[in-house]
Amino acid sequence: MSIEAPVAPTTLPMLQVDGFSKRFGEVQANSDVRFDVHAGEVHALVGENGAGKSTLLKMVYGVYEPDEGRMLIDGEPVALGSPAAARSRGVGMVFQDLRLVPAFTVTENIALAANPGPVLRLKDLAAEIAEASARHGLAVHPNARVRHLSIGERQRVEILKVLMTGARLIILDEPTSVLAPQEVDALFAVVRQLTEAGFGIVIVTHKLGEVRAIADRVTVLRAGRTVLHGVDPDDYDDEQLIEAMVGRAVPALPAERGPVPPSDVPALELTGVSSRGDRGHEALTDISLRVQPGELVGIAGVAGSGQRELCEVALGLRPTTSGEVRIGGASVDSARDAIGAGAASVPEDPVADSVVRRLTVLEHMGLDGRRIPARGLGVDWAAVRARMTDADARLGLRIAPAKRRLSELSGGNIQRVILTRELALDSSLVVAAYPSRGLDVANARRTQEVLLERRAAGSGVLMVSEDLDELMALADRIVVMHDGHVSGEVLAADFDRQAIGRLMVGGTS
Amino acid sequence: MTTLLDPTPSLVEPGERPDRRAAALRATGRWAAAIGGALVIFSALLLLRGANPLEALGDMWVSTFLRGRSLAEILNVMAPITLAALAVLVPARAGLTNVGGEGQLMLGAIAAGGTALALDQQLPGPLVLVLALVAGGVAGAAWAGVAAILRLRFQVDEAVSTLLLNFIALDLLLFLIYQPWRESAAGQPTTRELADAAKMPVITGTVINVGIIVALAATVVVILVLGRTRWGFRLSVVGGNAEAARRAGMNVAGLVISALIVGGLLAGLAGAIQFTGIEYKLRAGFGLQIGYLGFLASWLARHRPLPVLLASFVLAALAIAGDSLQLDAQLPAASVNILTALILAAVLGWTTVKARRA
Ligand SMILES: Nc1ncnc2c1ncn2[C@@H]1O[C@H](COP(=O)(O)OP(=O)(O)OP(=O)(O)O)[C@@H](O)[C@H]1O
Ligand SMILES: [Mg+2]
Repeated sequence: MSIEAPVAPTTLPMLQVDGFSKRFGEVQANSDVRFDVHAGEVHALVGENGAGKSTLLKMVYGVYEPDEGRMLIDGEPVALGSPAAARSRGVGMVFQDLRLVPAFTVTENIALAANPGPVLRLKDLAAEIAEASARHGLAVHPNARVRHLSIGERQRVEILKVLMTGARLIILDEPTSVLAPQEVDALFAVVRQLTEAGFGIVIVTHKLGEVRAIADRVTVLRAGRTVLHGVDPDDYDDEQLIEAMVGRAVPALPAERGPVPPSDVPALELTGVSSRGDRGHEALTDISLRVQPGELVGIAGVAGSGQRELCEVALGLRPTTSGEVRIGGASVDSARDAIGAGAASVPEDPVADSVVRRLTVLEHMGLDGRRIPARGLGVDWAAVRARMTDADARLGLRIAPAKRRLSELSGGNIQRVILTRELALDSSLVVAAYPSRGLDVANARRTQEVLLERRAAGSGVLMVSEDLDELMALADRIVVMHDGHVSGEVLAADFDRQAIGRLMVGGTS
Repeated sequence: MTTLLDPTPSLVEPGERPDRRAAALRATGRWAAAIGGALVIFSALLLLRGANPLEALGDMWVSTFLRGRSLAEILNVMAPITLAALAVLVPARAGLTNVGGEGQLMLGAIAAGGTALALDQQLPGPLVLVLALVAGGVAGAAWAGVAAILRLRFQVDEAVSTLLLNFIALDLLLFLIYQPWRESAAGQPTTRELADAAKMPVITGTVINVGIIVALAATVVVILVLGRTRWGFRLSVVGGNAEAARRAGMNVAGLVISALIVGGLLAGLAGAIQFTGIEYKLRAGFGLQIGYLGFLASWLARHRPLPVLLASFVLAALAIAGDSLQLDAQLPAASVNILTALILAAVLGWTTVKARRA
């Protein structure tokens, strides 16, 4: 596909990037990339994992310096050596991984970035925040501790922070990948309001539906190059856009799948389990749940209904206040019990829960919870490497080279490392929270196939997702949670959006 | 433990520039700025005292590096500092802050002294020496073990408990030298001196004692253990992300305990070497500040073993320079502590600022 000329701009773009190139060691993350944003528009940036989207935007925001190319703001060439310089030119960015200080309040977090001078006037700042949050429709409480906020709320804080540092061009790197559908709608409402007020918005996403819903123009990157530059998404159908992103069509999921084989011992069984959340409140109340070997059970629910606690309890990571957890018949009280009983897991937030930034891909492969292969007192890295190569070949998620540190990987590539490690295990149970989070279309599809392969191999699979379509495509059964309870259960034959939706808000089907 | 004192050399944070060359340059600049800034403030203080800073610093330089015996002296002083630094470095790998080098060192010296003074009249010297070193290591490890237990059973932060245990260790030492182990009721409260046969031997043809060889060997062992063993690998996982370690089924509590205990062992060994190689008797000011100097060395080196050697050497040289400051410029020897403290403040200040920005 060739590079298209942009729609002839009538006004000077706020931001124009001319031929940015950036190399990290052996990786050419960006080559000769072009990009521009006008005031009052939403420009979507899409492309497969590792295509170079975050790299491009971090160069715009002054985090990285481009090896080649130049950038103009309001038609004026600028060299932004640092995020502070970018902020002073009206560029703000919300990173893929949010970075607020959990122990601080909203106001304190904003004070850290807004640089209010030598004397902190937190009261005044809190008032300003309240005012700005009302003006932009970003509901947050200035005095709330970030630790207690949901991801959606944290994201609003990040956006507010960016607005309060005087940004006119706002870069949102994969803001929706951690959001529930309702939260996405709320975010898009804010974005629309901002563009109407003349802000320029860049948004990275892997979902074509979102591109169509919010973007005026779209740019596609592949392997660091601009494949489509600033085109109107309406001029392309989904197949064309996917082809531009991943270079091929993405196959549909196999429709046929075998029945769940009968079995006496469930892969996972929770009986009357209650447990506390991090804030000490009761997060799970009297949950009873069974996953058979060879069965894929989906968990649906509004964000924060106890999904996280459920996964952690099932994996022995969170103590129960009552009830019992069994994996393959064996009682589970600790992470070691769960691992010993054959559990594999994909955590909801891999960067926080499974990643050691300065360790390499290979070293992460040694952290699957199974015995670390020994060679004398040391680690038999050759054996780990063999395992990794085998896992990568079987799963086909094409993980990054063994010696790369996780701190150098793109968000989606981190997810692929964890997925490959966990889903390649010969497990009796897979607990997967939002497994396709941050993945491009092709990898998301491949991950779904792998989950079905685990099911076919006789694992019980418990999968949490915010995407009802994904759950309905994969699950044998969907269990709906509401406020720490199981509010209902729907079988594949009767999947019905409305019914599930009613259960999610605590009604009956 | 805290983000403020992230003990691990974070290589590339997102949102930070990854250019390695620039990073190396900045690191060098940082050291130069920290030490330069400290020297300037120190010079200002010298001026206030009416001394000529250029002359005083020049004298320090000459007498520290250009006099015959001083290199040997530096190496002798460097040995326990290096071990005390490793005592900080190993726990830091697991994300722990061991401020207890001072106390663990003192316990090591007490055990080494107690053992050696009890046996040096009966057993052959070299055997007594070996037993003293072993006793020192064990006692240091046990002292650190107390902090480990406090952390696991009662959630007491090890940075606090190890610090408090330093004061108890000092009290214990003072009690022993004033009461049961005192050589004579008259004069300074000290134990008697170790028999010559049991003292740490010197490298033939020099006045450098074998302590530095022990310290270098310990550094090599630490490099191998941290870099090559499963235990070292597990420590770096715990230190990098304890939640990831827990989810991988690791025994996080056991790793935390073992890291602290190994740290204590190294500090205890430092105390034993200080006793058998440098001071030969326990007295009130025994081994003073070596634990803190080790802490400083490990932080200056950002908890990496090879740079620890360099940092320990520099700090040992400063300690020797302090003596010459006293002799040449007629300033109290402790003046040099101000310089050391200034460097510490400058380097730690920098680390804190960086952690905040990330
Ligand atoms: N700091 C870094 N050091 C080394 N390599 C890096 C660094 N940052 C990114 N890369 C590499 O550059 C390439 C592009 O990464 P980037 O983060 O821009 O991808 P992305 O398009 O944002 O992907 P994703 O959709 O997974 O977030 C990847 O191969 C990545 O591994
Ligand atoms: Mg990215």
